[in-house]
Amino acid sequence: MSSLDEKIDEAKKLSMQIVKESDEDKLMTLSVGPQHPGTGHFRFIIKLDGDYIVYVNIDPGYVHRGEEKMCEYRNYFTNIPHLERPVIHDSANITYSYSLAVEDLIGITVPRRGQFLRAITSELDRINYTLYWLAIYGIFLGHSTMFMWPAADRELVLDLLERLTGHRITHAFNIPGGVRNDMPNNFKEKCLSQINYLEKRLKEYEHIFYNNPLFRQRTEGVGILSKEDAIKLGVTGSVLRASGVPYDIRKVEPYDIYNEIDFNVQYMKTCDSFARAYIPFLDVRESCHIIRELLDKMPESGDVREKLLSNIKGPPGESFKRVESGRGALSYHIVSDGTSRPYRVKISTGSFRNILALPFLLVGSMLGDMPPIYWSLNYWPIEADR
Amino acid sequence: MNTASGFIKALESGTKHLFIKRFTLRYPEQKLKFVGDGYQFDPKKGVGIAGLRGRHILFHDKCTGCQLCSIACEGIAEAIAMVKVDEQWKQNKKSIMPQIDYGKCVFCGLCVDACPFYALYMTNDYELSSYTKQHLIYTPSQLAIKPIDNGDVELKIGSRGATHG
Ligand code: SF4
Ligand code: SF4
Repeated sequence: MSSLDEKIDEAKKLSMQIVKESDEDKLMTLSVGPQHPGTGHFRFIIKLDGDYIVYVNIDPGYVHRGEEKMCEYRNYFTNIPHLERPVIHDSANITYSYSLAVEDLIGITVPRRGQFLRAITSELDRINYTLYWLAIYGIFLGHSTMFMWPAADRELVLDLLERLTGHRITHAFNIPGGVRNDMPNNFKEKCLSQINYLEKRLKEYEHIFYNNPLFRQRTEGVGILSKEDAIKLGVTGSVLRASGVPYDIRKVEPYDIYNEIDFNVQYMKTCDSFARAYIPFLDVRESCHIIRELLDKMPESGDVREKLLSNIKGPPGESFKRVESGRGALSYHIVSDGTSRPYRVKISTGSFRNILALPFLLVGSMLGDMPPIYWSLNYWPIEADR
Repeated sequence: MNTASGFIKALESGTKHLFIKRFTLRYPEQKLKFVGDGYQFDPKKGVGIAGLRGRHILFHDKCTGCQLCSIACEGIAEAIAMVKVDEQWKQNKKSIMPQIDYGKCVFCGLCVDACPFYALYMTNDYELSSYTKQHLIYTPSQLAIKPIDNGDVELKIGSRGATHG
């Protein structure tokens, strides 16, 4: 036997020992995150068969801060600064529903001018949040212009918020009983001119981003969440409205001044990623209308805050209030045992409810569709983990 | 929508942007002008006066050492400590005044709301960075200094877009 034949025999024997591929080996496991897949620390584990996602497991909780427990050790006023930390750029909305719940518990109503100011900050913050979200959405789809534009135009809103509340983010402006301060001089004119300019800019966004054929191809028909599924999964906010359900807390359960405000609930029936990306944008436009209307209808003068003791005791009982935040319904359930600290505070946020739809949308789609689907869910990890 | 016209529209809108002025604020050279002299609070009316919530300012001739500001901050950041001062004031028998640790403060301004004697306000001063943690602790005498407010740039909207200055 020649040495060559020996070598071939040896190779054959060796090849017999190689373990054959099993079905499980065909799948590749990817861990997306936990270091910042964009909005904050959050991980999801996906298994891929070739280019298709076959398994998704979401793993939130990396930025859990124990907000609910912290509430039990602070009084009704000192809770405000830490409660707005989960969504620093939508802090007016996250403290809005808290203030409403505390007011409901104590049994007071906010002076009329205060209600208007609250609604204005809430709408400004909705714009602020959505533009930030849009900027990241843009950069995640590789559209760097769409990152620059909203990030710059957000300044228009931040400037207004800074004038009104004293901070660009984390305003600590809504407080049980009203708002902290009245509008500064000539805020109204400033606000109108900057909001009008922002609206003009929004038209350009449509041309460069939403009507851009590349963006349309990547999002249209991707990640379909049917109306029935959306209701069953309990998603809220823009995700729910993109699935054809015209449900907006400002309309169905008007709080404060919203029952006097005339606005449309934005919804679409296409149920895809495009709709979920487009609805928040339409909301921003609607917010511009609402702000104009609020400034118009606002009483010229009056109180903005009901005076309360700084260590006010909540009477024993419960209260539940919710508002429409940038990410959907945001609700607080407060239980009081009659002391100056809440006995239990439960926060339910839109982000947490929306992310539950992620596994259903991703399974069966291609890996390349992951960013547009994940982003369209309007998810903010820190708010979801609280 | 037609693909070609979509691309053309997108390009056109991007090209138009070339003629829009730059939005950027050239920070250390230019500084923003704020409304008023910072956040203040009127305890009689029970509402604040709009303004930036920057570093605090303490009026030694008004502070009574009542500690209400420090109690207000207890549940928030525990940034305020009451310290002894050498000065003698009629209204401040114990000679104690607040000292604020800006390594902890979150600039919520709830201590200003708590002060019943118009002694503690906030100012437009936001440049508080330092090399050591120790330097972030502002003593009552440091808090008494009125900041130099030299911001003069405002956001303007012109025919060629929004600019600073
Ligand atoms: S601004 Fe807020 S955190 Fe800072 S010292 Fe005052 S109460 Fe404390
Ligand atoms: S600053 Fe105001 S609240 Fe604080 S100790 Fe002085 S008087 Fe009292």
